[in-house]
Amino acid sequence: MENTSTDIRQLNEKIHQASAFVDLLNLELSKVIVGQRYMVDRLLIGLLAQGHVLLEGVPGLAKTLSIKSLSSAINAKFSRIQFTPDLLPADVVGTMIYNQQKNEFIVRRGPIFANFILADEINRAPAKVQSALLEAMQERQITIGDTTFKLDDPFLVLATQNPIEQEGTYTLPEAQVDRFMLKVVIGYPTKEEELHIIRQNLNPQNTAKINPVIQPADILEARKLVREVYMDEKIERYILDIVFATRNPEDYKLQKLKPLISYGGSPRASINLALAAKAYAFMKRRGYVIPEDVRSICFDVMRHRVGLTYEAEAENVTSENILSEILNAVEVP
Amino acid sequence: MGKQIIFLFALLGLLSPLSSLAQQSRVEVNAKADTDKIRIGEQVKLRLSATVEQPAGLTVVFPQVPDSLSHWEVVTRSKIDTAGDNNKKIFSQTLTITSFDSGHWDIPSFRFDVVQNAGGATDSAFTSPLGIDVGTITVDTTKAFKPIKAVRTVGWNFWDYWLYFAIGISGILIGIGLIVYFRSRPKKEVVKPVVPLIAPYDAALQQLQQLRGEKIWQQGDVKQYYTRLTDILRAYFEQQFNIPALEQTSEELLQHIKPVTILNQQRDKLRSLLTVADLAKFAKLHPSPDEHEAAIQQAIEIVEWTKPAVAKAPETVKEEIKQP
Repeated sequence: MENTSTDIRQLNEKIHQASAFVDLLNLELSKVIVGQRYMVDRLLIGLLAQGHVLLEGVPGLAKTLSIKSLSSAINAKFSRIQFTPDLLPADVVGTMIYNQQKNEFIVRRGPIFANFILADEINRAPAKVQSALLEAMQERQITIGDTTFKLDDPFLVLATQNPIEQEGTYTLPEAQVDRFMLKVVIGYPTKEEELHIIRQNLNPQNTAKINPVIQPADILEARKLVREVYMDEKIERYILDIVFATRNPEDYKLQKLKPLISYGGSPRASINLALAAKAYAFMKRRGYVIPEDVRSICFDVMRHRVGLTYEAEAENVTSENILSEILNAVEVP
Repeated sequence: MGKQIIFLFALLGLLSPLSSLAQQSRVEVNAKADTDKIRIGEQVKLRLSATVEQPAGLTVVFPQVPDSLSHWEVVTRSKIDTAGDNNKKIFSQTLTITSFDSGHWDIPSFRFDVVQNAGGATDSAFTSPLGIDVGTITVDTTKAFKPIKAVRTVGWNFWDYWLYFAIGISGILIGIGLIVYFRSRPKKEVVKPVVPLIAPYDAALQQLQQLRGEKIWQQGDVKQYYTRLTDILRAYFEQQFNIPALEQTSEELLQHIKPVTILNQQRDKLRSLLTVADLAKFAKLHPSPDEHEAAIQQAIEIVEWTKPAVAKAPETVKEEIKQP
């Protein structure tokens, strides 16, 4: 059914009201998290668009604190899994153990049975464990023995990768990385923010605690509204142009990028870019998507979906450089 | 005693066929030098040969000559050569020997082993020793020592340097070839900047008037109307102010016009126009007819406002040309 002008106006008003909790959440989170607004925004996008987030950043940038606080603010269950080389799939998803008294096997659920999962240093565990987690992320259900368990909803996985230590790690294969809606690269806080962090941490009177401001059910409702956000055909075509430019740069007068790209974005990239743009528009309290929304989340959605050639790596060209070139070449509607 | 004599005779009886093997078959061995007098360090060709009458049924084994003999050094050894006809065969090997000791030295006799093919009986034949005088250089001790001669310069010879000449000439030829190639190859066409037939300012105004005349919004196509309107403005900014406006979002465009003072003065007007246009394009907003007319009027005003900047440009160029 095609949206009419009146529908969109009503939708806009509806979303304007429904998205008010975003400000509430941000306000609550700012009690304990100083700065890192970019990361928090991306976590919310993941949450609203039903996508998982891969975070890349050095240790100590409040990754755990952010997701833990978000979980508390939504009154959701949080679980943290530290990935290590000796971790087994059963340590993540759970296993069946024998009960001697009852003389039967009972299911012991793993830490994945929570709303928010922090998979810390996901690249430290071998492929079979990564695969078990990523499969659960995709299917949103777990099978232990003969029984299939549906995972809690909302279900958001935030996986972290440390960019500075690559020794003894198991790099996530391209197909697995593609399952993350966003790959967010986080940086250090500013000087002022860090000063605030020091003061906040050293202040003995600081007893800031996150209180639940919304319920998981509200998130599920918001997700439905996110899907309803109006996206004009012009925006859809703009998304396609960006994704196709990563595959066939020569069609967009970007011949120089051709030898630098080994593979471009998949159809999943287009879907996720559209979904994330809708979630971003929702967070901006709009009922329709504008090109700014697409551009704002484009790097986070696309950076792990553009494969680089050896030539690009030799010339220190990053996927961000390529995406910048593409965004500067593709005409905005 | 009687028993011992009997044993001796028996042994002689056994050995007698072997010892006479060489004689019976008439094997003749010989060592012959090409000279009997050399100066110290000079070489002597020593030919060892064995002549066997045919049919022999024998194998002649040449002596294994060591590298050094008493006062003699073996320099080279040839392979064993075979010659002859149906009546006899001659096997020969030539050794080149030398001596670094002065005096009269004997080349010792060499032993050839003769093995009977049928039965394997063995006998030996020896060559005669050869005496050769190895003389030294006579030094006239009565005369004074002479100084060592200085190093003599070898005369210049082209063939000593032909390789260097060849490389040098090849290098020069390759260099000339490259120069000729680069001078004669078809030059890349210089892409001349496309000079619009009509000035961006005039084109923008003309297109805006044309848009107004087409009455697109009156026909209900509001989205198309605002798309065309913003495209005209963006293309104008791109051509006139070198802002990549067609590839920028409304917010980015408003950020990028800041350095262009004359355009920045119209920022609020442009913002309001772009906001309405975005709503019409992406949110199916239907502004009122007054707003449609106001939008195109704002666009014309923005273009008109920037006219002084457009007119200024050629004067600046003229001034620059006048300067020496």
